[in-house]
Amino acid sequence: MATRRLLYVTAEDHYLYRATAGGLELEARFSGDDLGVTSFREHLVARPGGLFSVVADLAGEDFHEEQIPLLRGGDREAIVQRRLAQRYRDTRLAAALSLGEAPSAERRNERLLLASFTNTQQLAPWLDALEDGGARLAGVYSLPLLAPALAARLGVKSGRALVVTATRAGLRQCYVDNGKLRFARLERTIDMVPQALAMFVRSETQRLAQYLVTLRALPREGAPVQVLVVAPPGQREVFEQALSSDARLVFHTIDYSQALQSVKLKKVPEVTRAEALFLHLAATQPPRDQFASRQDRRRYLIWQLQRGIVAAGAAGLAACVLYGGWMGLEVLTMRDRALQQQRDARAAAEQYERITAAFPVTQTSSENLKVAVVEFRRIAERSASPEPALLHLSQVLARFTQFEVDTINWSAGRIPERFAAKPPAGAASGARSEAVSDQAVVVEVSGRVNATQRTDYRGITAQVESFAAALATAGYRLVERKLPFDVTSEGTLTGDIGGTDRGGEAPRFTVVVARPLP
Amino acid sequence: MNFTQEELKRLALPLLIALAMLAVGAGIVISAREGLRMAQTQFARTQAERRQNAERLARIAEEEREVSQKMDVYKQLKALNILGEEQRLEWADAINRIRVQRELLDVRYRIERQKLLSSMPGKPASVDFFASSMRVDLQLLHEEDLLRFLADLRASGNAYYAVKKCTIARTGQAVGGIAMTPRLSASCDIDLITVVDRAAKR
Repeated sequence: MATRRLLYVTAEDHYLYRATAGGLELEARFSGDDLGVTSFREHLVARPGGLFSVVADLAGEDFHEEQIPLLRGGDREAIVQRRLAQRYRDTRLAAALSLGEAPSAERRNERLLLASFTNTQQLAPWLDALEDGGARLAGVYSLPLLAPALAARLGVKSGRALVVTATRAGLRQCYVDNGKLRFARLERTIDMVPQALAMFVRSETQRLAQYLVTLRALPREGAPVQVLVVAPPGQREVFEQALSSDARLVFHTIDYSQALQSVKLKKVPEVTRAEALFLHLAATQPPRDQFASRQDRRRYLIWQLQRGIVAAGAAGLAACVLYGGWMGLEVLTMRDRALQQQRDARAAAEQYERITAAFPVTQTSSENLKVAVVEFRRIAERSASPEPALLHLSQVLARFTQFEVDTINWSAGRIPERFAAKPPAGAASGARSEAVSDQAVVVEVSGRVNATQRTDYRGITAQVESFAAALATAGYRLVERKLPFDVTSEGTLTGDIGGTDRGGEAPRFTVVVARPLP
Repeated sequence: MNFTQEELKRLALPLLIALAMLAVGAGIVISAREGLRMAQTQFARTQAERRQNAERLARIAEEEREVSQKMDVYKQLKALNILGEEQRLEWADAINRIRVQRELLDVRYRIERQKLLSSMPGKPASVDFFASSMRVDLQLLHEEDLLRFLADLRASGNAYYAVKKCTIARTGQAVGGIAMTPRLSASCDIDLITVVDRAAKR
């Protein structure tokens, strides 16, 4: 944290204070003449780039109320600067304090309190010294600019109040209306006994009140004005006796030590008077309004910008750390949950192992046992034995004694292509619509038909078809049958009716039946 | 507010510091996100594992029943020596024995080299099914001889005998004389199937 120094400027001497945590330390004292300025310059050489505030406690501070159209931004700034230029010859140390919107039926105006020093040359060499010394000037304040903050700390945040303090420069009186400065004056004092000072406070306060009434800053009639008088150390009782309230002014005497507590100022140099209150407020709670120009404060503004940039980076980092931390917590939660899932999974696996350990003893794993048996069953189901087919054929042949079998071809497996898609001629439509299995037992029977004339086509056809139909039972379906001649329209049919019977071999036939496998 | 060159130089260091802090912050966020993503993946994996184990545990009664049922078949396969390496000498002995016992006239066979029929993935190792194709030619007096031969072959064990094809035909030889003349000839293709369980204890 940069050390803030406060240059307290009076008409005679100037005092340089160093603001510490909750306290003020007197660092140097300079005379108000050129010698003092030179000493100040030398003092600054040892402290380049220091942070300074100037607090002026000078007589001849001008306050003037104006009204301007209610504007914002650059337009307002331009009008304010023009009004200041119209009012003051030297605007280097001039300020325009907003008093809020003016009650007007015609158009919306803003009330301004223009303030400056009648003699800015008292401050100019000191500001030049700060500029030349590379100091960062936070602002130039007068005690009246700090009075609203002091009044608030002393308990008056609204209404009209006069803040009366005895500083090194004299008796400072500030008129604050609803937290806004309206007027201030400084009356020089000489060393007085407490009673005399109290009487002086009373008389000057009444004079100021009268003057404010004349200015119409105070209403002639109305609620009494609160007067906050900070009594010098040990003089509160004397002040309370002297400051009796009346219908217009209600005095509240505050002990200096109590005022220090109110502004949370713990440590002050012994020689310091009530200006310590203002100086501490200038260090800890500087008001937005002050006298220094933007140019005079440029180094300070750059310094603030530097700090702002770093602060923004730090804020970004903090936000990332917070977000990262939140995600880190999520990670921890997720890991905990994963760990729990892992424990549950392991417990289930262990329980499974315990239970399977009680299974009948096998010479292999349960998995392999299942795989071996299932696959073996599948192979066995797709295998077949020729015995059932031969038995079936034998039973059919017993009914067809004129049939003589020469060859039997039995096969199990994929149906040969020549049988797969070709339905038998004359096969029933129901049989045709049956789903043809990929795997099947196929039985091809070839033989001869005895005791029938070779030219008896109708008789042979009827007998072979009858034989084929008998075979196509018990789960078998007819796949093909071949006659010794072709009776289809595509073939050639020959005959030798009345010719000599050659008595050759009997007509041959072939019947193919199939039974699907699972 | 316009900045001079000198002022811009003064602002450079704070800008660098701020950028560095933001970069560190971004790094923290990125690494935290990555960590979260990994944790979520791990959680999903463990959750799936837990669900799978729980489901397996829930099915254990059914599995126990299934194992008991399949155990009998497995034991039978083991007892018949279907489970294990193939026993070619046993096969040859069995065929000779059948021929003698059944007084078959002529039996010729040829067993081809072993082939992998299928390999089923198991835990902790696979179960492989092998087949050796055998062509057997027989001279028969009666078709019943073939059926007896096949039945005896099955009963001999040492493989699962899957008959693929059988052709029976008349020999057409005249019957007569003292010597027995075969009336039928049969030719069969048989797969001799054996199972090798790689996880089986020896």
